[in-house]
Amino acid sequence: MFESLTSLLYGFNIALQPQNLLYCFIGVTMGTLVGVLPGIGPTATIALLLPATFSLSPISAIIMLSGICYGAMYGGSTTSILLNIPGEASSVVTCFDGYQMARQGRAGAALGISAFGSFIAGTVSIFGLILLAPTLADFALRFGPPEYFALMVMGLTVVAYLARKSVAKALMMAVVGILLGCIGLDPITATPRFTFGMLELADGIGIAPVVMGLFGIAEVLENVGVLTKTEIFAPKIKGIFPNREDWKRSAGPMARGSLLGFFLGLLPGVGAIVPQFLSYALEKKLSRYPERFGNGAIEGVASPEACNNAAVGATFIPLLSLGIPSTAMTAILLGALMIYGLTPGPLLIKNSPDLFWGVIASMYIGNLMLLILNLPLIPLWVRVLKIPYSYLSCFIILFCLIGAYSLNNSTTDIYVAIVFSVIGLLMKKFAFEPAPLVLAFVLGPLLETALRRSLIQSDGSVLIFLQRPISAAFILFSIIVLMVPLFGQIRLGHGLSEED
Amino acid sequence: MDSVKRTRIRAAVAGAFFWVILGVLACYGANQLGRGSIAEPGAGFIFFWSGLVLMTLSLIVLADSLRSSEDTIRRIPKINWPKITLVLFSLLLYAFFLERLGFVLTTFVLMSFLLGCIEGRGWFRSLGIASAAALTSYAMFELWLKIRLPKGFFGF
Repeated sequence: MFESLTSLLYGFNIALQPQNLLYCFIGVTMGTLVGVLPGIGPTATIALLLPATFSLSPISAIIMLSGICYGAMYGGSTTSILLNIPGEASSVVTCFDGYQMARQGRAGAALGISAFGSFIAGTVSIFGLILLAPTLADFALRFGPPEYFALMVMGLTVVAYLARKSVAKALMMAVVGILLGCIGLDPITATPRFTFGMLELADGIGIAPVVMGLFGIAEVLENVGVLTKTEIFAPKIKGIFPNREDWKRSAGPMARGSLLGFFLGLLPGVGAIVPQFLSYALEKKLSRYPERFGNGAIEGVASPEACNNAAVGATFIPLLSLGIPSTAMTAILLGALMIYGLTPGPLLIKNSPDLFWGVIASMYIGNLMLLILNLPLIPLWVRVLKIPYSYLSCFIILFCLIGAYSLNNSTTDIYVAIVFSVIGLLMKKFAFEPAPLVLAFVLGPLLETALRRSLIQSDGSVLIFLQRPISAAFILFSIIVLMVPLFGQIRLGHGLSEED
Repeated sequence: MDSVKRTRIRAAVAGAFFWVILGVLACYGANQLGRGSIAEPGAGFIFFWSGLVLMTLSLIVLADSLRSSEDTIRRIPKINWPKITLVLFSLLLYAFFLERLGFVLTTFVLMSFLLGCIEGRGWFRSLGIASAAALTSYAMFELWLKIRLPKGFFGF
């Protein structure tokens, strides 16, 4: 514990250097902006800005890119409360009560509690990260290929389980993701696989064009030519500091939301969206006045907002300590770490302590910046939202094209982004969720290597996954998760779509 | 059987057929690459098993959609297929001409088309915004962020 605190102080020393402070500020501001704007999310933004960070030091770059991740959570809540428009999928729940509070003249209190809740949850998750990540990394040194394989299988199963529609469809998307992710040279024999003689595919399909297509361009295509008139309800914002009664009602939900978000965010594949719905449902169930929910209950803002921020912080733990991304956003960050010549995994903390502790300290500073800056900037975000969507959509397409092109300076990546935009649109049409595809796409090559190494190690015995206690536990958990839907409608995602 | 149900069944069968074909292709490609054995998995190992799992899952999804009364196709309101086709075509042209004509010119043409033709924003305004977008994005990405953008034969 003492060692961690000393390391954290060392991290602050790095994060407080002027250039790192500047990049942290740019990151959180960009994150808030994309959180405000519907259509382009933090994942696409990180992919877009990734090539711009090549000239920076890896620490400054990761500080900026992480700032985009958690900054987006703040931006999303602002528009949910003021305009009933979730800028981010993980801010949908905030609309339920936040917008009602704004209509009742309590926009300031809603924004205030959301900002304070996010800050408190951010702090909780950072301390969780400090305590858990090094411990988990030490523990993960015992992991061999079977444990990694089992862990990734568990992550993909959890994503499928949390699907809002069909588990089978989500699993299908995970399989398609694995197929697409494994295109390119075979990691063991270097045989080209499904490259069709194209040199550009030898390294596999890039994550950036896939994300740009699935999340950026597909979103625009869905709304192309549709006249959308945003009804902007921007009341005069006063009293951003919640009163004593607000604090009394919000303290418990905030604490529960933070803990729930943090622990669910630790699980590979969960992300920030589902925990937010769960925290709302939990608060409604625990409340003595559940009828207030949906009509402007401050608990309905405090808990989900704390929850989504804590979950985002927690997603950094599997990334930094195990080298396993649990969301599309952290998948891009994993790619960034590898581009900078770092090896994400249990040894990252030992080999690059300045990066690990510097990034953690910067997250705390970034959260503080967001708390101070977010509220005065609200009028600016409202003005940004007044820009007609027809203009924004054209710019989103342009940025996605630049983002797809710039990573490898290859027009093939633009074609890939276009193909994936069509796939994304069809997926929307036929109710297939993109999250399992993206996660499996990133995990695919890692999963394949771990599987093949395990089988070679065991001389072809699949029992290796059950003979080792850690992998057996992960496999058992995956089986339980898959069996649950067979025994009644107690699937979390299913219930969540009804709540939605 | 009403027409809505018939359409739903047809869509479910067509969907399953698509996924099964994809699974078959993955298995076929895997065999070509060399599946290897379970003790010594080859380059096609993961593709083969993924293909098999995909086929199985697609049949489960088919059975599920035939059994369920819920519509598996999401109704996207007012989706504009002709305009989507035009946008996609313009993006393909953009990719084709980007390195030949350079970033600024290609971006200007694309943005003018998207704003003027697709979004119907008026030509005068569209051309103004398109030129501003092309120049500011060039300045921001190429000059400030040092991202290399294609120059084309005009040199910008």
